[in-house]
Amino acid sequence: MGGVVAFLFYGSILFCLIGSSIKITGFIKTPLHLKWEYYKGSSVYESIDWWTRAPTGFREKVVTALVDIIFLREYYRRNPQYWFFLYLFHLGIYLLILWHIWLFAASVLPDPEGTRGYGLAWGHGATILACIGTLGILILRITDRELRLYYAPLHYIKWVLMMITLAGGFYAVHVYFGGSIPAVLKYVRAQVTFSDTAQKFHPPPATAAHVLLGSVWLVYLPFSHILRLFFRYYHGLRFDEVPNVPGGIIEKRVKELLGKPVTWAGPHIRSGKSWRETATGLPDEEGKGKAG
Amino acid sequence: MGKKKPGIRDFGRNGKSELVHISQKDLMPLPDIPGEDTESDPIRSLTDRQKATYEHSLDGVSAVAVPCPKDEEEEKRLIKSFLEGLKKLLSREDNWMFLQQLQQTLDCCIKCQVCSDACAIYVASGRQEIYRPMFRSEVVRRIVNKYLKKGGRLFAKLRGNDIELNWTTIARLAELAYRCTMCRRCAAWCPMGSDSGLITHELRKLFSQEMGIAPKELHEAGSMRHLRVGASTGISPKAFGDIIAFMEEEIEEKTGKKIKIPVDKKGAEILLIHNSGEYLSWIENPAAFAVIFEEAGLNWTLSSELYGYEATNYGVWYDDVQFGRVALRQIEVAKKLEAKKIVIGECGHATKGLVILADRMLTGDFNFPRESALPLLENIVCTNRIRLDPRKNDFPVTLHDPCNIVRLMGIIEPQRKILHMICPRFREMEPHGVDNYCCGGGSGFAIMSHMNFSDWKLTIAGRIKVKQILDAFKDVRDPSVKKYVCAPCSNCKAQLRDLLAFYNLQETHGISYGGLAELIANAMVDLKKPFIEW
Ligand code: SF4
Ligand code: SF4
Repeated sequence: MGGVVAFLFYGSILFCLIGSSIKITGFIKTPLHLKWEYYKGSSVYESIDWWTRAPTGFREKVVTALVDIIFLREYYRRNPQYWFFLYLFHLGIYLLILWHIWLFAASVLPDPEGTRGYGLAWGHGATILACIGTLGILILRITDRELRLYYAPLHYIKWVLMMITLAGGFYAVHVYFGGSIPAVLKYVRAQVTFSDTAQKFHPPPATAAHVLLGSVWLVYLPFSHILRLFFRYYHGLRFDEVPNVPGGIIEKRVKELLGKPVTWAGPHIRSGKSWRETATGLPDEEGKGKAG
Repeated sequence: MGKKKPGIRDFGRNGKSELVHISQKDLMPLPDIPGEDTESDPIRSLTDRQKATYEHSLDGVSAVAVPCPKDEEEEKRLIKSFLEGLKKLLSREDNWMFLQQLQQTLDCCIKCQVCSDACAIYVASGRQEIYRPMFRSEVVRRIVNKYLKKGGRLFAKLRGNDIELNWTTIARLAELAYRCTMCRRCAAWCPMGSDSGLITHELRKLFSQEMGIAPKELHEAGSMRHLRVGASTGISPKAFGDIIAFMEEEIEEKTGKKIKIPVDKKGAEILLIHNSGEYLSWIENPAAFAVIFEEAGLNWTLSSELYGYEATNYGVWYDDVQFGRVALRQIEVAKKLEAKKIVIGECGHATKGLVILADRMLTGDFNFPRESALPLLENIVCTNRIRLDPRKNDFPVTLHDPCNIVRLMGIIEPQRKILHMICPRFREMEPHGVDNYCCGGGSGFAIMSHMNFSDWKLTIAGRIKVKQILDAFKDVRDPSVKKYVCAPCSNCKAQLRDLLAFYNLQETHGISYGGLAELIANAMVDLKKPFIEW
């Protein structure tokens, strides 16, 4: 049993890393797309000879994206009630992720006693925030008709699983380790240094359950929308003002893409030719799809 | 509303009957419009013959005139063709242009319904489920997940992928792709970067590029005619010459100025291209441009070459191939004329199409400088390059923001700066700027009026705009006070023309409409007569 837990846990980390890398590589390799942005304020196109103006700076793009992602700004503007729980959940999860990273870092520090107070408050506080968020979301998703619509049954199961995972973590720390951060750190240290294989292969049930649930989430991550969100063409949607200049990198990519074959079967398109040839040709020349 | 709302699961069922029937009492109320409280249906029923010939099971409206399949064999063939097209939408070769946005939209909807309230059509229709922005996306998402992804049918219900792909689903989707103006207000509201307007665009492409299904006004009488004759309005180069001569006479008669409009002038700074509909329906707009440009001493020209006098590009709305074909030809004209840049007149989709969408299709010397006319007009007005007297525009004016120019290009201030300078009684509509509502004529609707579609676009798609206009002028209800809705876009103007007529707003409220250049020309100090004729 213990071996299985260890195998699943490390396997899930590996799976998550490999799966995410494959996904992210896929996103990055998606061909250049046509410009299709929307604006929330004035753009360079308000200038005469706009192509001579500098597009929005990198810093501004990053700040906007971060504010949107960290504070979920659009939800706040559009549905404050839902935002409240969503935000608590996200805040809790962000803090918990940081807490776990801290656990690993602090476990190898020499003085675990010094972290006793704030370590516990941090972990429990984050868990409580995430729990309130999860519960709130779940309740709204059940009671609010708009939020219930089209929401797949599987997603409800996910939220319940999230609740169990959070509660399991709380239980492990609070009950199994007696709320002692030094004890948690000692356990984590044994894990990361691979020093106590006996414990690894015979884990206590509370930690085993929590670790297993964590593994489920790690396996799920590459399949979720979360990765795509971070790699969304966000900057493309909001600030795609970079002009395609002659001789530039965009032009080079466009040239390649125009060489790709068109296989659309509509009567006004002769498939098999490249995009370049298709656009240069006329439908009538192709003897098909005469206009009415 | 009491009645059961059809859900996605009903989408492929009962193909013989309409999924929804819209009655007057469903619609968002328009209390200021007389006769709006009638019991009669807002949308005329199709005739029995039309019903027997065309698919109409979505909402009883036929925008696309999809022929009913003759037999089961044909249905099967169409379903296969649809799935083929869907695969192509998701392919790196066939849809590199929009693949990334499409994948983002398909993957990232969390069903928060934030986008629903953003949609003018959904809200104005009395929140008909089928018009919900994400409804359309969700149908497509489910079909992709269930029918194109490995293991998609496993636990389909549990994973929220329960949908039946049959001819009814496809026929309804074809119509549903024409119940959205692609204003992308929903996309701008979506916190996840999911874009239901894009789904409309992609669906229309699938139907046109793979199945040869598209509204006649956009395809046969639109982009195909454009490629054949030179303009989607059917104006030939010869007819264009006659129109210019007529325009010169008009200008002289109106302004007392004898202007020789530059046509096909080689090496001009600016090649100005208008939506050719302006020449047929609102010749005062290109005339105003001519007067303003001449007065400002610009080095400009029009073109009478095939494709050189037509800015529209209907492909923007439904077909990437047609779009590319037209864009290349427009650039070719500018190159031949050795102009320095193309400036596009007051036409939203044409501006967005050529300036933005075409950007990543053009390489080498086809990558020709292109911009909207609005910054140029702003420069002329705000740096006093021509003499203007705002008192000549002493009537209430409001501004309609064309989605393509404002939300989708970020050109927000130039038109406002101009109006603040020259219209002392300018007032904004609410909401405005990037939060504007579409006029209801976007994505080709302004020129589509087949069968009973015009009823739909006037009573539902344009409904919120009517309310906004009435609200903007609510302090001056008196119909004897002339009011002006400024719409710097040909398609918006076409829709406004039809809306004002349909709701009788000119007679009952004294509301007219027109472009931006006309207001500038009207304020010019040395004109014989007022430029704007009410
Ligand atoms: S499209 Fe966006 S706003 Fe609309 S339901 Fe989906 S995630 Fe929410
Ligand atoms: S693009 Fe506009 S019309 Fe279409 S669904 Fe979105 S908000 Fe509605």
